[in-house]
Amino acid sequence: MAMGAPVVPPFLVVRNISKAFGGAKALRNASLDIIAGEVHGLVGANGAGKSTMIRILAGLNHPDQGSIEIDGHTVGIETAHCATAFGMSFIHQELAFVPGMTVLQNIMLGVPKRSRFGLTDWAAIARDVEPIARRVGITASLNANVKGLSTAENWLINICRALVRKSRLIVMDEPTASLSAAESEKLFAIIKDLSASGVAVLYVSHRLDEILKLCDRVSVLRDGNSVAEFTRAGLTRKALVEAIVGSAHVGNDSRPEYAPQTHEIVLRVQNLTRLPKVRGVSFELRHGEVLGIGGLVGAGRSELVRLIYGADRADSGSMTFRGKPYAPKSPQAAVAAGLGLVPEERRTEGLFLTKSVAFNLGLVNLDKLVLGRRVPLLSRKSQSSLARETMKLLSIKTASVDSPVGRLSGGNQQKVVIGRWLQRAPHILILDEPTRGVDIGARAEIHRQIRELAAAGMAVLVISSEPDELPDLCDRVLVMAEGLIVREMSGASISRSAIVEASYGERSH
Amino acid sequence: MVSGAIDREDDQMSDASTYNRRLTPRAKAGLGIFARYATILGLLAMIVAFSILSPKAFSTLGNFTNVLNQASLAMIIAGGLTLAVVVGELDLSIGFAASLHGILVTGFIVHDKLPIPLAILIVLVLGALIGLVNGFIVTKMKVNSVIATLGVGTIITGLAFAYSAGVPIVAGVPEAFLQLSLGRWLFGIPNNIVVMVFVLGILWVLVERTSIGQEIQAVGGNPAASRLAGINVDRIKTLGFVISGICAALTGILLASRLGSGTTSAADSYLLTAFAAVFLGSATLRDGEFHVLGTLVGALIIAFGFNGLNIFGAPTFSQYVFQGAILIIAVGLSSLGRSLAES
Ligand SMILES: Nc1ncnc2c1ncn2[C@@H]1O[C@H](COP(=O)(O)OP(=O)(O)OP(=O)(O)O)[C@@H](O)[C@H]1O
Ligand SMILES: [Mg+2]
Repeated sequence: MAMGAPVVPPFLVVRNISKAFGGAKALRNASLDIIAGEVHGLVGANGAGKSTMIRILAGLNHPDQGSIEIDGHTVGIETAHCATAFGMSFIHQELAFVPGMTVLQNIMLGVPKRSRFGLTDWAAIARDVEPIARRVGITASLNANVKGLSTAENWLINICRALVRKSRLIVMDEPTASLSAAESEKLFAIIKDLSASGVAVLYVSHRLDEILKLCDRVSVLRDGNSVAEFTRAGLTRKALVEAIVGSAHVGNDSRPEYAPQTHEIVLRVQNLTRLPKVRGVSFELRHGEVLGIGGLVGAGRSELVRLIYGADRADSGSMTFRGKPYAPKSPQAAVAAGLGLVPEERRTEGLFLTKSVAFNLGLVNLDKLVLGRRVPLLSRKSQSSLARETMKLLSIKTASVDSPVGRLSGGNQQKVVIGRWLQRAPHILILDEPTRGVDIGARAEIHRQIRELAAAGMAVLVISSEPDELPDLCDRVLVMAEGLIVREMSGASISRSAIVEASYGERSH
Repeated sequence: MVSGAIDREDDQMSDASTYNRRLTPRAKAGLGIFARYATILGLLAMIVAFSILSPKAFSTLGNFTNVLNQASLAMIIAGGLTLAVVVGELDLSIGFAASLHGILVTGFIVHDKLPIPLAILIVLVLGALIGLVNGFIVTKMKVNSVIATLGVGTIITGLAFAYSAGVPIVAGVPEAFLQLSLGRWLFGIPNNIVVMVFVLGILWVLVERTSIGQEIQAVGGNPAASRLAGINVDRIKTLGFVISGICAALTGILLASRLGSGTTSAADSYLLTAFAAVFLGSATLRDGEFHVLGTLVGALIIAFGFNGLNIFGAPTFSQYVFQGAILIIAVGLSSLGRSLAES
């Protein structure tokens, strides 16, 4: 290599970085280099250190050891401002909104603004930003309030901001976890476009198909170590999985045989309506059945399950649960009847971020953790043994059961929300995007647990926008579009392409 | 939530996290530990300093018992307030309520000639009722708890005037009622202290060691997630107000017994003391999380602080300065703890 060494150094070189949080080592001697204009994948299991690496580049965490070079010069990234000044922009795993501000204001957050007579010259800024916004595919008016915008549009706003700042590297932490298939495709096109214009992209994802399709090079982290680096030529799914997991073993979930029609009906939904999102939905769910609900983001799937769970009230329609009329007034009533819900947004709807892992896992299982039915005293021993059991079951990576759950990596937080309900094993478990942000190994394990509980009689209702999840997991799939069920498929006829096709609102049966 | 943060790295962040960003990680960890133990260190430092400066007056068993005895009433009302803030609400009615309860209990005994235990029981039930009203206004009418409890507190003050016409009930308070607060029925320990230990003990067990306590903590931590986990959020919040109301009643009763009178506004100032104690407590041992044990430590700091000021003959104005300053410091420490926990 010495002879043909590139004259231009890579844009970014991370050399032998280590970072520990208390006793927990998030990164050990991890390295990474990014060449201008490439799409660079960063993969690894939950808790492997991907987000930590990114937060270090962003100046949010500081490495204990190691060095970072930009354009061949060693630099220290002390603050987020430094990172921006070095030409890096970040779209983090947990994205938040700034409601009450316009699209333009959001794009310009933290960007130095042109001003006239000491006042920000929004008109001039809008003229500059407009073409960039159109280029990344923002269709909303720049003066629109961001409140009504989707997650996808928020991603676009973030990308737009990066371009306005003239960033040379845009880092995306699990971008497609909350995007629909169509939105993801658009994002990929934008990434290709960025790459062609010389902007590098560091791309973190658990979806290996995306990595294989998109990336010029891929770095793999395992337990905080850099274990492999692939170029386009050597990139195969098998090699990636091996590098991520550390062995050739891949969770091969063989589904148990199952004949759903023989089991008793546990839930019957008739003409359930809550305008405008749910417009007359009817279906039946049987004990032991895993029923998927496919469709586009916004098709009314989450709204439907919220009605079943008592989180919202229906305008009309009826339900029967285990043969009796069922009209839950609140989630509390639904839980008491024997339902459980893993909500879509883990951080806002699922977790108690400052509370411990044990607290979070114990919450819906309190009846199991008290000393007796009449004695509501909590047994701390039962609480932590339940937590440890769940940790082992789903390989939740945490320093201890007493760590605040907010300190866990994104995928491990998701496992906590699921683990809570797996332990309770309700009659009906509703899962809204259950494996969002969860790595391939853990995903297979979660699917296996769900199948096992179903085999024991639990009925499962799954919503997923992840293309392969419903075909992998479900006995039967309903596809929703615009608040209606437009297609039902079962057994061997369930396929990714059939679900996608039906999602686009073709109403024939 | 904080108003401006599109993602964590951005400039539009809460002041607290901007402040964090400038610190090295080690300094941050150090600051975290310091913040967690600062209140306890402060308490010990104060005791040591006062003991050295005034060994004869301050560091005697008699004075310590005295301080604790005096502080017990504040600790009970602050313990109740802790429950209200743990469920994520504020209760500003407690001081006014305690004043009303003091008047009512003396009135029931002196004017209505009710047996003392019955008078006490009625007042405690009234305390719970006021909590129920607060809870109803906040959870069902969706009124912000600051406004709701301020309104209820003001109405209560009106009721107290209506009942007593502003004239203290002094004459004819039976000795037996005075003994409630002044007596030492258990091993010579002042009754106030015994009651305080008993009440805070129950509250601690309730919050930390029962299943309903887990729900109480959950509701304060994330109401939306609590609801989806099947918890009746409204009921738990109301429970917080009810406990706060009962503790306010207890403090009002004990104060009336100690003063030997029912006086309008007698307990009003407990509101500030209780808040200072609760917020100081949230910075104690935990990162800005409200808890019963912390409240106890917070109340002790305030009590010893006042005691020191008294012993050194500090002028009256300085007591107000101390009270106000400690409240601000307490809330500051509390939010510092929280922002460190988030980073
Ligand atoms: N602030 C923190 N305090 C303590 N431990 C932390 C903190 N941040 C991260 N960790 C630990 O560092 C490890 C790496 O976490 P990181 O978030 O980088 O994982 P990740 O690769 O992004 O995982 P995921 O795919 O689940 O998002 C985890 O074990 C996590 O628990
Ligand atoms: Mg991550």
